[in-house]
Amino acid sequence: MTISSFQNRPPTVQKPFPLPPGMNASRHAPKNRSSRKSLGIAFDGVTLAFLLLWAVIVLIPLGVLVSVALKSPAELTTNPLGLPQQFLWSNFAQAWENGNMGTATINSVLVTGFTLLALVLFGSMAAYPLARATSNKWYRGIYLYFVAGLIVPSQMGMIPLYGLMRNLGLINTLQGIIFLDIGGALPLVIFLYAGFIQSVPRELEEAAALDGAGPLRIFWNIVFPLLGPVTATVIITSGLNIWNDFFGPLLFLQDQDKMTLPLAIYSFVGAYTNNWGLIFAAIIVSALPMLILFIFLQPYYVKGIAGGALKG
Amino acid sequence: MIKPLIYAPSKPIRKRKNVFLQRLGTNALFLLPALFFFTCFVIYPLLSGVYYSMTNWNGIDLTPQFVGLQNFLSLWHDAEFLSSMRVTLTFAFFVTLIQNSLALLLALALNRFMRFSAAFRVLFLIPTLISILAMGYIWSYIYSPLFGFVDAFLIHVGLSQWAQDWLGDPHFALGTIIFSGSWQWCGFNMIIYMAALQLVPTEFYEAASMDGAYRWRKFRDITFPLIAPSFTINLVLILIGGLRVFDIIVAMTGGGPAGMTRSVFLEIYRQAFLFSRFGYSSAMVLVVSLIILAISVTILHYLRKREVAY
Repeated sequence: MTISSFQNRPPTVQKPFPLPPGMNASRHAPKNRSSRKSLGIAFDGVTLAFLLLWAVIVLIPLGVLVSVALKSPAELTTNPLGLPQQFLWSNFAQAWENGNMGTATINSVLVTGFTLLALVLFGSMAAYPLARATSNKWYRGIYLYFVAGLIVPSQMGMIPLYGLMRNLGLINTLQGIIFLDIGGALPLVIFLYAGFIQSVPRELEEAAALDGAGPLRIFWNIVFPLLGPVTATVIITSGLNIWNDFFGPLLFLQDQDKMTLPLAIYSFVGAYTNNWGLIFAAIIVSALPMLILFIFLQPYYVKGIAGGALKG
Repeated sequence: MIKPLIYAPSKPIRKRKNVFLQRLGTNALFLLPALFFFTCFVIYPLLSGVYYSMTNWNGIDLTPQFVGLQNFLSLWHDAEFLSSMRVTLTFAFFVTLIQNSLALLLALALNRFMRFSAAFRVLFLIPTLISILAMGYIWSYIYSPLFGFVDAFLIHVGLSQWAQDWLGDPHFALGTIIFSGSWQWCGFNMIIYMAALQLVPTEFYEAASMDGAYRWRKFRDITFPLIAPSFTINLVLILIGGLRVFDIIVAMTGGGPAGMTRSVFLEIYRQAFLFSRFGYSSAMVLVVSLIILAISVTILHYLRKREVAY
């Protein structure tokens, strides 16, 4: 089996590229053809073995997660390695009831939903003038002000934030954590939106302006509908971060009925130490919404990771 | 009067280039919500942190006492802070090394087997969907003594002398956490490498294989220089994440055994919320943040210089 990644590539336009420095045409003349070919097959075999090995290493903890969630505490000691003898679905019901999971799920949905709504609205609105008026030094300055937030460690303001949040009466409120998450995620969101808007041609907007459309109408009716792909990227990347955030809720949400899912799991583990079946059932319930979101938005997640990192 | 055939506008059309500058009012409306949230909840706390770090604020007083640089001076003699610093730097160094190498190897391997890459990519990204805290709990079960998966497996295959309390042993605890963290996030960095690998022009390889260049030489002389920007980004991303490690340690060891895995952010949390030393804690945050900033700027500056353009 010879699989060469190069053969699967679409044909590219033949353009002479200069060889990078260090490549010397005459130094390695081709040796014995057939021995090199068998070496290539062996190399492919090792590569595939490495991929499969890592896939197994990735699968084991995920398999353990599902299998333990379906086991009784007694079975965990008698049969720690194998699949569950009988599926104990009651773990899920019990975790949901005792673990405060219902309230926590609603809270997580509220926090993530409202934060994402604000991020998409405020982020795209702010990015629009910043992406279009790049020649003006004031707008460039504001853009840099936002993007500097990408470099500054996000936990830097957490301790003093505690004083601010208390003075504003935002501790133990969902809106407090929503405000916090909006501020923290805006740099990346504006960065993604501004980069995308710059690639959208401005002829449409100029035509609409000639027809007498106001800037608000131009933005909502023409620009915003074009931002679908980057909005999907924002939703999946920021959504994951907010949904799974533990540090912020740990500091600012202490009441039982205000907890988000990671915090609920944290306190659940404290209360049910070593009842791993219950704990893992709770973890699966908490991860399920993100898994579903991932199934639908997977290409945008990949784009968000790659695009956000490479442009930076 | 004969109408002109071509309607010329009575006034020359103003160049519309600056249309976005003319409407200051609308632009302000567009920018203000974002500016408000970012300034209030990120920049203001950050700046006030500099002030709090020079006070003995206990988290409750409205008017903390100004103590100058005393907090920073006592940091130098704080054995627990220094030990947490050592733990954090060790963690960050090895996570960077392991996670980055794994990500690069996986990306290179997947780039060779493009036809399976979609399935592997999805699989390797699934761990990044689970919260770090939850994943930490999963790992702490897997490594738990005797009945945990690793020990049960070792006993099952007859290597019971290797079975041990992985997270309770000071020699193994940090290493175990380092592997677990790298395991969860290497898929994320792999995606960045894969995106960069797709952009490498195939002509380079064609020219090289005509020369009979060896695989290692192809990688060293062509692939790596061309994907160097993604190497820099991954290095900095993992390093910053490693220096800020918190969730996974809370879940796996809580800082134990005997503070052997207590990271700086655990120490910061402990000082503020257990001992009510918010001023002192702010000083720690400031020092750590400046270290993170200095390291990332240095690396970006040093590695960016070495990158080639193509």
